[in-house]
Amino acid sequence: MSNRVDPNLIRELEEYGLKDAAKCYNCGNCTAICDLSTPENPFPRKMVRYVQLGQKEKILKSPEPWLCYYCGDCSIRCPREADPGETMMVLRRYLTSLYDWTGFSKRFYTSEKFETMAVAALGLLVGLGMIFWAIANHALIDWKHADVSSVWSTEGIEKADLVMAGILSFFLLTNLFRCVKLVLGDYFKKIPLKMYYEEIKYLLVQFATQKQFDGCKTKGNRQRWIAHLAIMTGYATVFLLVVIFVNGLPFMGINALKFQRGWASMGHVNEISIFNPIRLLGYYSFFALMYGTSYVIWSRLKKTQPQFKNTHSTDWMFLILLQATAITGILINLGHIFDLAFFTYAIYVLHMMVAIPMLVLEVPFAKWAHLAYRPVVLMLMKVKARYVAEYEPAKGAVLAPEVEAAV
Amino acid sequence: MVDVETQSILVVGGGMTGLTAAIEAAEAGREVYLVEKNPYLGGRVAQLHQYFPKLCPPYCGLEINFRRIKNNSRIHVLTMAEVESVSGQKGAWDARIKIEPRYVNEKCTTCGKCAEVCTMEIDNPFNYGMDKIKAAYLPHEMAFPFRYVVDPALAKSSQGQSVKEACQYGAIELDMQPKTLELKVGAVVWATGWSPYDAKRLDTLGFGAYPNVLTNVMMERLAAGNGPTNGKILRPSDAQAPKTIAFVQCAGSRDENHLPFCSSICCMASMKQATYVRAQYPDAKIYIFFIDIRAMDRLETFYADLKKDQNVTFFKGKVAKIEQDAATQNLVLRVENTATGSLNTINVDMAVLATGMQPNSSISHQPAFASRDDYGFIAAQEVTPGFFAAGCTRTPINVSESVQDGTAAALKAIQSVVRR
Repeated sequence: MSNRVDPNLIRELEEYGLKDAAKCYNCGNCTAICDLSTPENPFPRKMVRYVQLGQKEKILKSPEPWLCYYCGDCSIRCPREADPGETMMVLRRYLTSLYDWTGFSKRFYTSEKFETMAVAALGLLVGLGMIFWAIANHALIDWKHADVSSVWSTEGIEKADLVMAGILSFFLLTNLFRCVKLVLGDYFKKIPLKMYYEEIKYLLVQFATQKQFDGCKTKGNRQRWIAHLAIMTGYATVFLLVVIFVNGLPFMGINALKFQRGWASMGHVNEISIFNPIRLLGYYSFFALMYGTSYVIWSRLKKTQPQFKNTHSTDWMFLILLQATAITGILINLGHIFDLAFFTYAIYVLHMMVAIPMLVLEVPFAKWAHLAYRPVVLMLMKVKARYVAEYEPAKGAVLAPEVEAAV
Repeated sequence: MVDVETQSILVVGGGMTGLTAAIEAAEAGREVYLVEKNPYLGGRVAQLHQYFPKLCPPYCGLEINFRRIKNNSRIHVLTMAEVESVSGQKGAWDARIKIEPRYVNEKCTTCGKCAEVCTMEIDNPFNYGMDKIKAAYLPHEMAFPFRYVVDPALAKSSQGQSVKEACQYGAIELDMQPKTLELKVGAVVWATGWSPYDAKRLDTLGFGAYPNVLTNVMMERLAAGNGPTNGKILRPSDAQAPKTIAFVQCAGSRDENHLPFCSSICCMASMKQATYVRAQYPDAKIYIFFIDIRAMDRLETFYADLKKDQNVTFFKGKVAKIEQDAATQNLVLRVENTATGSLNTINVDMAVLATGMQPNSSISHQPAFASRDDYGFIAAQEVTPGFFAAGCTRTPINVSESVQDGTAAALKAIQSVVRR
């Protein structure tokens, strides 16, 4: 098996935020202290070692970065202050960029300038597009009552949403496919489809609850898990509301779920009841996102715990866009409630200017992608373990070495 | 005509380094004051079972040194004494020394009558608290000065009087007070030595919580004939012979969260202790968990010889966590084998933490001019003209190196007073 050494790997990873991995003297304390590290997938030292040895190909095939939830115990306990937890974080960024076949992700992560420009350019494009759309539509605009649908028709938004969702899914799924192939290696072809199918439930549970996160027993982890879950569920909920249910599902006759409603469409009231389930879901999203992002922003500013000590520019970008999306989102709702036409329309444009870059850039190419990679890799490890137990029991013994054998 | 008073040398610390410095200087004709905090001389060395690499008992060398002190009227030994302050300059140091009451005077014949009467017990400091002794006690069989000590708690208790009355020689003085002594000396040798790093701070390794987790200094006492088990290496929880023993190297050493430096002796100490175990239990399984084995120069041979033992496993990996099986009180160690990359849980009957040397200069007071390095050592030999640091005050070293450093300090101190 070829084993190429990339002597520039450490320097390359520095662009993704790597700092202290070279300090590691490979004592293994981090791997042995980690609550999530297992005999089958011991980490993080192995990954730190790969970094030190320029083992780019081995990193590319490693599932371990996705199995780490960055509780920070390894970094706290590291005798060399080599910050293994941060190295794992850096490798998640690195892997995200390597899975991405377009090369966009790599540029997004490694150049702050590119990152800012990409977000700004897309934001401006969206803003201009929205304004042109409004101008083209100016005759129908309701200036008396706040009604976003009068400026940008809900049906139009829905169509745009679906096109966008299609494009996003294409990129995310092709990247995810690469991730699956790399992580499984030879097993990709060997494992029968049925086995994946049988673990779908596990995938969904991990996706929705991030139960594995709670497996870290470090102090303060429960709160981080809750904040993390709040951000994920908040965003997922609002994603469903604005992308899937923006116009309800009229072709399925589910009009009740329609998220974006206006003065005209509601028969001349400025807002449905704030206790309407669809609105309550929206409020949940707002509060969950605000709680989660505020907690993380505060922690990152104060550098309260190891995982908050090093903040990459993409982390700030992610948090700012997310919080801005939530705030502008709730302002649109308030604009409708207080029936402030111009205010609502202006905020709506702003909202799109932050929400769309957030969605289009972060989901397939950056931080949001881990929403897919993590649970999928977890499931793959489970499937692989099952396959090995069933078809390669002899190899299973190697995967979980006996003490004597290891010594 | 030289002034005899200011030609004298103050040696602080009666461990191997200070003992050597004091004796060498006195034998070269200097007047020496040797100040020791404990009620006896010999320091950490007196608590060892055997030296490496020869595996001979330290009492032999200590006995020779004590004989040299007895034969030399120039050495003034002050035990239970601590230096409160040192000021002045080369050739004219003023030292204030506080002497704690021993409650036993020089009339003591060590007949032991006081201990017979005494019922009060205290943790035995000589055995790191692993057993109890009477509150009227001889610190150990080879204690020098060879004289009993009465614990302050006993002296102040109602039992004090009956203990005093048991002494036929009038050696017990319950009203003894702390004394302060002012000394004028020409040079100072600072050899305050080290303390074992506080293993309770290693909160994942279970020391203090699990009885079968010991430290390396405790292991010395466990193996020593005059230790708490009369030299039998037994598990503290049930006094059974251990079948598997783990030596956990770098317990708090080479660790930025604890002692960032290598104490340089712990690898050899653990390997030496492995031979204690082997001598008593020919079939016991011994693990030595290490990051790197540091057996310098000729000591490498000791390592090579031990590796030939089939039941000694050198396991490359730092033990991150020790947990206890509640039923058996056996220990479960979590450690990565960094040679193979495998994650292991290993069960042992007993674990010995190789804790490092914390310089006492980092935890106790000393003259302000004695500047310390990042690790708390007073690294310079000549700290300031006429004031010398020696032994483990300067850097972590073994016994023979301490003897050399003590001798060097004696020479420097003599030079500094003679050349004035």
